[in-house]
Amino acid sequence: MILFDRVTLGYGRKVILRDVSFSMQSGEYFGLVGPNGAGKTTILRAILGTLKPQAGTVTMRGPEGRPLRFGYVPQRDSIDSVIPYAARDVVMMGRYRDIGLLRLPGNADQLAVMHSLRQVGVEDLAGSVFRDLSGGQKQRVLIARALASNPDVLVLDEPTNGMDLASRVAMLDLIDTLHSRDHLTVIMVSHLLDDVANHARLIALVESGFFQVGPVGEVLTGENLSALYRTPVQVNQVGARTVVTVGVRNERH
Amino acid sequence: MNGTEIVGTLFREFPLAVYGSMLVGVSCAFLGVYIVAKRVVFLGAVLTQVSVLGLALTFLPVFAVPHTIGALAVTLVTVVIISRMLTGKKTPRDSVLGVVFITSVTARILIMQKTPKVEAAEIENLLRGDILFVTPELFQLMTGAFVIAMAVHLLFYKEFTFITFDPETAATQGYKARAWEMVFYLIAGMVISFATHMVGDLFVFGFLVVPPVTAMLLTRNVKLIFAVSVLIGLLAPALGLFLAFVFDVPASPAIVGVASLVLGSAWLWSLAGRAER
Repeated sequence: MILFDRVTLGYGRKVILRDVSFSMQSGEYFGLVGPNGAGKTTILRAILGTLKPQAGTVTMRGPEGRPLRFGYVPQRDSIDSVIPYAARDVVMMGRYRDIGLLRLPGNADQLAVMHSLRQVGVEDLAGSVFRDLSGGQKQRVLIARALASNPDVLVLDEPTNGMDLASRVAMLDLIDTLHSRDHLTVIMVSHLLDDVANHARLIALVESGFFQVGPVGEVLTGENLSALYRTPVQVNQVGARTVVTVGVRNERH
Repeated sequence: MNGTEIVGTLFREFPLAVYGSMLVGVSCAFLGVYIVAKRVVFLGAVLTQVSVLGLALTFLPVFAVPHTIGALAVTLVTVVIISRMLTGKKTPRDSVLGVVFITSVTARILIMQKTPKVEAAEIENLLRGDILFVTPELFQLMTGAFVIAMAVHLLFYKEFTFITFDPETAATQGYKARAWEMVFYLIAGMVISFATHMVGDLFVFGFLVVPPVTAMLLTRNVKLIFAVSVLIGLLAPALGLFLAFVFDVPASPAIVGVASLVLGSAWLWSLAGRAER
């Protein structure tokens, strides 16, 4: 589905990541993890096709050989709307590619917008002004917009950033549901290790000069994370959950 | 003279001033919604100064081309150069605009020093706005620019909306965000260039900002924001011209003054509405 073969990425003459290779199949839940500024968004842009590799090849193949369709959910703080678009207007933007040039949205597009809002549980917010919504509500509307574009792959950039615990859990549950119920391939970028550790199946650890990819259980180890963050990190199992702790705790006797 | 006689005189003696100022008002008020939405309000001030620089250059013997051509050429070349910088992240937008603004003003002052006194006075007239002496040729050019701007924005409303709201995601959907941005800035440059030559920089900058902001205070419906802004762009110039005639004051400040009074009223109205809630 997605194949990176010895890909070098950067901007201008600056190289961010060198010789990155990995592949991802349809139906995967893929997490990209690393410190801020490590190059996660750079890889994301290469996957989305908005950044061309400086070297190597990126191959994308959708179902039946057609091009892959991505539904992109940007960091919600990157959207600073002066104009008071309603949530349904924002979701409609996801339909624009299929509507095409010089054509207006039709009934089918309106229905698709409402269906997408229903999928993420905010149908009642269709008429609300997007910029007035809470962080969690905005994130759901942006996911609805991505779904409205009929994607093969849902790509989320830091979807839980800045959320309180309850909103964060609800957001991750929603992404899990879209992955399992609607069979969507998911790519999620996060600097929050716990988010990825307990939801993704495939994980890539990203840092300048360090790129490792594989199943969560194999890659998400204390040794790898300690090297990545240059600080002692422990990975523990608490019940069915993976818990990542940073630093060495002094034990009391 | 009573009010009816003044209106009659305006339409009889200065028809191009009345229709021209309304045409510029509507054009700028419409484009202004996008300019305010993109947070590049200062772009209006910058392009008016660039346009005036283009006009000033045509007074030099080495650039002896028609004023309109000079203003348009310099504005469009500047737009092409700065549109890439405005969409990039290396230099802050306000810094780019600030540099172009101060360079244009400085160059104009230096050029005026090297032109004969009469011509320098003519450039100053252009800056202040000479609404009452709009020529038919300039009116036709402005009408053409208006038709092109409206046609492109109505035909590609979806694309401009998406690019303005979220260029990053639009790019992932296959939209050439930079190309669309360039189209927007070229159209804005063309309208601003002709409009500045026609009515002056104060009027143009005022109507790129004041009607859209007023509309955003009055309504939260996107289509109504465009409609209200355009309505103010249509009516404020007519009322401003009437008041300029009555009180014997310059036309451009009177027109922008009327629009600003509407803005002030809208602000008070929105404050009252907020207090009630």
